[in-house]
Amino acid sequence: MKRYDLIIVGAGPSGLSAAIEAAKRGMKTIIFDENEKPGGQLFKQIHKFFGSKEHKAKIRGFVIGEQLLKEADEAGVEVKLNATVIGLYQDKEVVVKIGEEICHYKGDSIIIATGAAENMVTFPGWTLPGVIGAGAAQTMMNLHGVKPGQKILMLGSGNVGLVVSFQLLQCGCDVVALVDAAPRIGGYGVHAAKVARTGVPFYLSHTIVKAEGEDKVTGVTIAEVDSSFKFIPGTEKHFDVDTICLAVGLSPMSQLLKMAGCEMEDNPKRGGQVPICDENGRTSIPGIFVAGDVSGIEEASSAMIEGRMAGITAAKYLGYMDKEELDKGMEELDHALNGLRQGMFAPKNRGKKITETEEGIPVSENLLTKGYVADDEIERFPGVTHAKGIHPVIECTQNIPCNPCQDACPKKCISIGENITSLPTVPHAEDCINCGMCVASCSGQAIFLVDEDCGDGTATVTLPYEFLPLPEPGTKGVGLGRSGQPVCQAEVVSVKSLKAFDKTNLLTMRVPKEYAMKARFFKAE
Amino acid sequence: MNKVNDRSRDIGPFVPGPDDDMLICRCEEITKGEIRKAVHDGMWTMTEIRRYLRTGMGLCQGQTCGKLVKGIVARELGVSPAELEPATSRVPMRPIEMYIFANEAKEADVHE
Amino acid sequence: MPPNECEGAIQKGGILMDTRIAVHPILGETTKGREISFTFDGKEMTGYEGEPIAAALKAAGVMIHRYTKKEHKPRGIFCAIGRCTDCVMVVDGVPNVRTCITPLKEGMDVRTQYGVSAEPFDKQ
Repeated sequence: MKRYDLIIVGAGPSGLSAAIEAAKRGMKTIIFDENEKPGGQLFKQIHKFFGSKEHKAKIRGFVIGEQLLKEADEAGVEVKLNATVIGLYQDKEVVVKIGEEICHYKGDSIIIATGAAENMVTFPGWTLPGVIGAGAAQTMMNLHGVKPGQKILMLGSGNVGLVVSFQLLQCGCDVVALVDAAPRIGGYGVHAAKVARTGVPFYLSHTIVKAEGEDKVTGVTIAEVDSSFKFIPGTEKHFDVDTICLAVGLSPMSQLLKMAGCEMEDNPKRGGQVPICDENGRTSIPGIFVAGDVSGIEEASSAMIEGRMAGITAAKYLGYMDKEELDKGMEELDHALNGLRQGMFAPKNRGKKITETEEGIPVSENLLTKGYVADDEIERFPGVTHAKGIHPVIECTQNIPCNPCQDACPKKCISIGENITSLPTVPHAEDCINCGMCVASCSGQAIFLVDEDCGDGTATVTLPYEFLPLPEPGTKGVGLGRSGQPVCQAEVVSVKSLKAFDKTNLLTMRVPKEYAMKARFFKAE
Repeated sequence: MNKVNDRSRDIGPFVPGPDDDMLICRCEEITKGEIRKAVHDGMWTMTEIRRYLRTGMGLCQGQTCGKLVKGIVARELGVSPAELEPATSRVPMRPIEMYIFANEAKEADVHE
Repeated sequence: MPPNECEGAIQKGGILMDTRIAVHPILGETTKGREISFTFDGKEMTGYEGEPIAAALKAAGVMIHRYTKKEHKPRGIFCAIGRCTDCVMVVDGVPNVRTCITPLKEGMDVRTQYGVSAEPFDKQ
């Protein structure tokens, strides 16, 4: 039986991060992953990540994946793909199916980084071809280059539902509605806003009554639910769709840990069955560690930090590192992890109803129920500025740890400060040189460059545009408001695509000046 | 957590529900009604339900229906799903063909 | 090779030309292996070497992969990552092949699975 210092199950962001730390300390490390390609869910994420520079903010998920793989390769990490771990025993023996054979490996330490699986929700017709998981849609679009369908209804308004809806729009699908039984949107407001402004209607407090079709989905009926999630008669709405996407949460895939005998608990705040572990990732069995979503559903950024924590903890456990080094390493990583776990969406705030931002500004109720900030709410927020000439208008309305905009502006017009959950402000709006870097750097696509009065009765609005085809200058169309409804005539002035913008094109449209603070998206006639 | 359900508890008779014909275990095609009836037949733990009905024993080995079955059984018993012990996790953790399962790699063949 | 060259399969199926994403606003041009042919229920189709069988079928507009053993109900792709086993078909004579993670090869024989066989139910 082959022996390794460290066996890691799962080559996703946390597994790779753990392996890098372990290999750097000289540990003989191997990662087993049942998939054909490493990276877990990371390569399906085409949006720019949030956070600060140390959290790889502004960088697209799949690019982070490529960086991790390169780092792992350079550190000499062995990754075995198409290798399914089918058993984990208490004495740290790992049974792996590779090809058509069963192989046994012994690890002096083990890190389980198997991630999570999608939850299910049932409704009549849920087994029809055409009902797919949100992950399935991502896999098909972003890995295989195939559209999951043409007309799609998304169920679930957490970050997965919101992000995948936007990705569906980006590959040319028609998202007819975004539905959630909850009364408020679960994911980030900015993710919802960028979907809403393209015209996708949100139906909160609604859920699916049934999926229709004989041998595949041809339509769907939704209806409003009351506070006990019972259908309210007479509120049915019907949509013609060929695809229904389910994004109703994730559950940790922790069965291997249970099998090995780790103490488990059913913790709804962490997503379900999770191993009982400390902040280093130690489970109740010495030498078996966990990292990433399997120990509690969070996000890729936290998974990577937890992976590094487990990696150095395993290194200390086997004597490849002494206690001082471990404590120092943990302090840095703890600091980074805590930086992520702040703000309105922090794990500690889950389930709480937040009515005000940290600055004391009432949150936008419309954002939480309809997916967009209403025209009479938007002026509350400090990033929404007015000035002569072109200046940034930052429609960032929730406290999330995120600050790429602050560093993006070469004139230092934008400020967030030490506390990176603070809402951005624009103390020097008049210094704006219209370089567009802020618009392109905002992972939430919440920054616009506006010239409220060009002097001829018109205004210009520059918005982030990540769709094809790119309109030509001179194209006439309509300006859509934050709600996605057409509000005025619009004409494309320019479309800028610079390498520094990293695929976020900047579309500038001319609108009647009354709509300078209202028009936020462009649709060609 | 090994909370043994008190089987002397009266959970009442089986009352048919409007969505009893909803498919829950996709692989073995087992409905909500069958699961609920099984509880009243005396199956009070996830392991018993699995052996009685074959929910979670089909091709996907419970990866799709696991949480759903747990929720239905818990509701029928009047407890929160967190109180129910999940079904035993044992090898193999993923569906595997018998001929592969029996094909132990020889020491010399162990992939370097 | 840009997927536009796959017009053969899509036209034969009579399906919309744009089920494959030729150019993506973020990911750029979709790169695929060489174009190959395979059969689905005896019909000749084209796809790209190495992509999952299910992707080639999806691009050609095929929604139903199998019919269930007990209730004879249609199933197709659900999870797309080899977990749910709803997309299984009979491939080269072998049943229960997860088409969402099995790479397409030249000349593959892919058949709708009825229960666990390629024979329709009334012939079983």
